Amino acid sequence: MSIYEWMNERIDLDSVKKFALKKRVPIFYGSVWYYLGGVSLFLFMVQVFTGILLILYYQPGAETAYESVKFIISRVEFGWLIREVHSWSANLFILFAFFHMFTVFFAKAYRKPREMTWVTGMILLMLSLGFGFSGYLLPWNELAYFATKVGSDIAGAVPVIGDFALRLLRAGDEVSGATLTRFYGIHTALLPGMFTVVLGIHLILVQVQGMSVPPEIEKIPEEKRKSIPFFPDFALQDAMAWLIVLNLIALLAVFFPWDLGPKADPLASAPAGIKPEWYFMFMFQTLKYIPAHVLFIEGELFGIMLFSIGGLIWFLVPFLDKKANDGIRTPFWTWFGILLIIYMIVLTAWGYLT
Amino acid sequence: MMKKSICLYSFLIFSLLFGSNLSQEDACIACHVEVDQELDDEDKIVNHFESDIHIKVGLSCADCHGGDPNAFDDEDEAMWENETFIGAIEKSEQLDVCGKCHSDPLFMRRYSIDVKVDQVSQYKTSGHGISLAEGNDKVAVCTDCHNVHGILPVNDPRAPVYAKNIPETCSKCHSDDTRMFESGLPTNQFDEYKNSVHGVALLENGDIGAPACNDCHGNHGATPPYVENVDQICGTCHSNNKNLFQKSHLNDIFLSKGFGQCEACHGNHDVEIPTDEFLGWSSESACKPCHEDSHPAKLMASHFYQTIDSLKIGLIQAHDMVEKAEHKGMIVSELLFDLEDAKKALIQTRTNIHSFNNAFVDSGAAPGFVSIQAAINGSNVLLDEVIYRRKGLLAFSLIITIFVIAIGLKVKEWKRIRESEEV
Repeated sequence: MSIYEWMNERIDLDSVKKFALKKRVPIFYGSVWYYLGGVSLFLFMVQVFTGILLILYYQPGAETAYESVKFIISRVEFGWLIREVHSWSANLFILFAFFHMFTVFFAKAYRKPREMTWVTGMILLMLSLGFGFSGYLLPWNELAYFATKVGSDIAGAVPVIGDFALRLLRAGDEVSGATLTRFYGIHTALLPGMFTVVLGIHLILVQVQGMSVPPEIEKIPEEKRKSIPFFPDFALQDAMAWLIVLNLIALLAVFFPWDLGPKADPLASAPAGIKPEWYFMFMFQTLKYIPAHVLFIEGELFGIMLFSIGGLIWFLVPFLDKKANDGIRTPFWTWFGILLIIYMIVLTAWGYLT
Repeated sequence: MMKKSICLYSFLIFSLLFGSNLSQEDACIACHVEVDQELDDEDKIVNHFESDIHIKVGLSCADCHGGDPNAFDDEDEAMWENETFIGAIEKSEQLDVCGKCHSDPLFMRRYSIDVKVDQVSQYKTSGHGISLAEGNDKVAVCTDCHNVHGILPVNDPRAPVYAKNIPETCSKCHSDDTRMFESGLPTNQFDEYKNSVHGVALLENGDIGAPACNDCHGNHGATPPYVENVDQICGTCHSNNKNLFQKSHLNDIFLSKGFGQCEACHGNHDVEIPTDEFLGWSSESACKPCHEDSHPAKLMASHFYQTIDSLKIGLIQAHDMVEKAEHKGMIVSELLFDLEDAKKALIQTRTNIHSFNNAFVDSGAAPGFVSIQAAINGSNVLLDEVIYRRKGLLAFSLIITIFVIAIGLKVKEWKRIRESEEV
């Protein structure tokens, strides 16, 4: 009895095999978008792999974190590579997640029956940003320290729960060694656990509901639509994309290594040019230029409210854009998406150029 | 009645101005607010009181000038008719008036446990003090440096005797040709000093650790340093240089020829940042003005210059190599220690020059050359690692490319087979 037969008797592998062979992937002008979700998944796996390796040497704590990262980079065999890949992959992961989200948005793939896929995707994006924010502090360098200070200050400005949120994040009143330990726990235990569960639901939904096509393609009779088998054709093409991205990461890791910078010194004054990670830049820049008071509301609070409302609308798009369920593209939502992208790009570029 | 009203009115104004009980208790202040009304703000005595240290610690006008500060009703009773009243203090009386308190340890201990009480006795030994005793009324006394009214503590940045303000305070007299004419002293010291390394550090960079006039000439016991004292004075801060020079063969020669040890090469008020060009045998050499080309000093000076120059060039090379490795993303923190050690050795070698001993200078420079070599070797290891990484990337990219092409070809083949089957 082969291993397959032994397994099949117990967990019905035949039905999985039948499902995989039967599953087909539509071919149309936007088929390339399908790779974005897969690449994001691949980058997450790279993160898990390199993250586990880093944990073997990383030592959380104000006195040890920076030194251990330095040790990883300079003394551990291929430690530099693992750290560089982890850092670059983290950034590419968020970038591809954003690409994936916007292609899904413009393809209106969130429409019925895939509302929950969108919602779980949005939760995954939020968790990814949480990964980015918590991971940024872990090397305990000067830039990360002050960026975390500024970032957590913003959380503290949220009405009612602000003080609680600030203390919850910082594990005290100030960013300290306790904050670092807390961020380490969040980054390596809490977020991976939550992410895995939500990712599981997201992937099951994608598999069960199949690939979505834009409304224009959906109107074409099914027998006239082009498609390829998911296995092995699409799976192998996906693997090609993964390999290309892996090569890109290696290239970035070798030619554009991340600077560790000086160690964080809580008693030192903040250095000039503190910037958050690029994916928070548009929000940071907005908060920076909002006037001290907008009407009767404090500027920072107004900004937070603006982002909260904007985020909520974006989160609930499948339930607000009801016409999409009938395959109708509403100009309002298309422009909403376009303007959002322009806003994010312009504010981010502005943040880096000024 | 009129006089009484004026005093009462003035006292009310002063109370409003300073918000203290001072004018309620002191008739001098209450009246001078009114009397000085016609004067410019700068000349109004009461305008200086707000920050005056004496007023702050509870002393009154009468403690220096005598008189009765309680005689609110009668000006004559407050001043002229009172036997303690001395009015404006003459220069000749200054030492007695100020020394009444400042030379009394028991009195001064009220304000500070470690306060000095030797200012008057020191002053009497100074050039100023001796001249005053000889009847020179142009010479500086306490108030010329510390102000008359509105005397501020020494550590108050507004005080004329605050470290940064001292050169200007001394220059009020010492740069005044008319005032200094009789003494025959030069008046260019301040102009020289303000462009010197010390002057720039103190006056432009605000480094109050840099020496002002008093750090070399003394405070109250101000006297010009003599030739044999020059190394002691400079050595207060530059102790290593002083110790090395004192042990060198040049020390006795300089003294016998009447050269101020440090001053002979570095100057006094106009002391510049010493450059390495002081060594060697170029036109800027500090040795050349005294020594002939045939003198062995030329060989020694040239050796010093070459040693320092070799260290500098090595340090620049090592620094560039370390920077190159750092720009390529390598961790260079340990190499930075080597660079730091090399810099220290360079500084030490510059100091060792004052021994005027080739072997001693070489022994100080040797660790610098070792550190420079260590930094260069370390940088080479890191730069080799960069090349190794790039070669690794190239190999990895080749493998990935082959894989991608192979998968692409396979997918294409499957597609072709499937299409032919469908046909």
